[in-house]
Amino acid sequence: MDETTEATATTTAGTGGAGHLFTAHDVTAVMPKRGGGETTVFRGLEFHVDGGEVVDLTGPSGSGKSTLLTAFARLNVHTTGSFALDGEDSDTFTPQRWRVAVAYLPQTSTLIGETVADAIRLPWTFKVRQDARAHEAKDMLSDAHIRATLDRMGCRDIDLDRAPRDLSGGQAARVSLARTLLTKPRVLLADEVDAGLDEENADKVADLLKLAAHDGTAVVRIRHRAPDGRATRMMVLKAGELREVPLPTAAQVAAAQRADAVDGSADGAQGDGTEE
Amino acid sequence: MESYFDIDIWGLVAAVVMVIVAAGISALMRTGVAKSLIWATARSLVQLLAMGFILEYVIRQNNVWLVIGLITLMLLAAVQITMGRATGAPKGLVGIVLLSLVVTMLLMLAIVAELIVRPKPWYAPQLVIPLTGMLLGNTVSALALGLSRFFESMRERYAEVNTMLALGATKWEAAKPSMISSIRLGLLPSIAMLASSGIVTIPGMMSGQIIAGKSPVSAAKYQFVILAAVAALTLVADSIIIALIYKRCFISYDRYFVPEPAKKLSFKDLVQLRKDVHPDEKPDEVRREAEQEQRARTR
Repeated sequence: MDETTEATATTTAGTGGAGHLFTAHDVTAVMPKRGGGETTVFRGLEFHVDGGEVVDLTGPSGSGKSTLLTAFARLNVHTTGSFALDGEDSDTFTPQRWRVAVAYLPQTSTLIGETVADAIRLPWTFKVRQDARAHEAKDMLSDAHIRATLDRMGCRDIDLDRAPRDLSGGQAARVSLARTLLTKPRVLLADEVDAGLDEENADKVADLLKLAAHDGTAVVRIRHRAPDGRATRMMVLKAGELREVPLPTAAQVAAAQRADAVDGSADGAQGDGTEE
Repeated sequence: MESYFDIDIWGLVAAVVMVIVAAGISALMRTGVAKSLIWATARSLVQLLAMGFILEYVIRQNNVWLVIGLITLMLLAAVQITMGRATGAPKGLVGIVLLSLVVTMLLMLAIVAELIVRPKPWYAPQLVIPLTGMLLGNTVSALALGLSRFFESMRERYAEVNTMLALGATKWEAAKPSMISSIRLGLLPSIAMLASSGIVTIPGMMSGQIIAGKSPVSAAKYQFVILAAVAALTLVADSIIIALIYKRCFISYDRYFVPEPAKKLSFKDLVQLRKDVHPDEKPDEVRREAEQEQRARTR
């Protein structure tokens, strides 16, 4: 968690593609208002993230956190901006290749398929991964391999043959996360994937994300919960401004967790691991 | 027409009286359908007779341009009905609907008329026009159903489509479940009709030929060819249209965005619209359009 010191506390941080894994430049969101007109959610935001980082993104609801992440994955029709991976502009990628590298994980888990195993295999049925599949182990999509991977991810309790709709919220969230993690994205944009989960499941999800960061993925998390000590950097999106805030001390984290802060207020604290 | 039993004016009167009696009964029972029953009956009488006179004229003239003109009018009416019935479909589909109808109609005429039946002259109106009508009647319902279903499904699958795109799906891959469900739904009536014909119903065309004194076996052969061709071509029309419109649910960089449904046109708007497009046409064409609907229903 030493890379945090390099970042400055203003929105101008990280312009251009200078060495960062992922950079976003001049990100603007203009939403159509119901009944005509437009609202600008934010304008000209800058952002960057590197492999191994876990960046927490907080801010009041409605401030456009999800919009920002879907803009990064270039899924949002109301946003503009330029985005680059390793300094390469997203326009030089096909949309599919871009999203394979910069994976957005929605807040609600939509698992498609008859069984959990099918749901996890889904990304590998897409054309964009047909070449990648040839390089992977032949049994990568076998039940046994998926089982082993899920076990490693702490999903021992999830039966592969179950219908996705029969899973609990926590299980579905973990399967959805596992599905995306198995595709090995370079940047993982996790949109409040621990929302509505109990402490135990939230903890498991956080562990999985930390593990992905450890393997070199850049992780961006939207969070509303009390800090869990896994972030390496923390940013607040509020009133159209994206600011970097200092990581809280361990004491602040402990206090926040004791208080069991329900909703990550804008100045929510974050710190070093106190559990595990 | 050796053993053909014509219906005289009293036959029509008797049929109308039947409807009036039925309407009287339902008025007594206060079902509230009496008025619309009478109105629909009057419309159907006028529309069918009009179509009869027009066809009689066209057949007597036996002129290739007249046949082509009538078919063109039928096509335009079919496009209009499809757009009117396809709820939830966005604007700007007229060209695509017309294209898929034209393609299937040409296939129908090429295969069924010119390859199987081989009439002389090749444009024999008594064959070509009813054939076109039967095909269009069926395709119009299938297309309208398929279009509505496709856009409805794409709207419902909001979260699913976005999840698939986020996982690297192409537009085609993300839209595929909706396409399949739409084509399946559009084709169901055709399949049901194929399977039930001859057991539950004697289809309209076969009945007509039998009443007209033709051999029931040759009537059956005719009917089968038509049913099979119509079912196959309905699938073709549906596939063409879905393959051409699925992209409408996405914008640049393969982002999911289902366009707003077009404003529903009222019947009055349709007449108005048609006048705008074809200022020299008589409302007589509107009748024919409704008539095709009728035919699609009765068949």
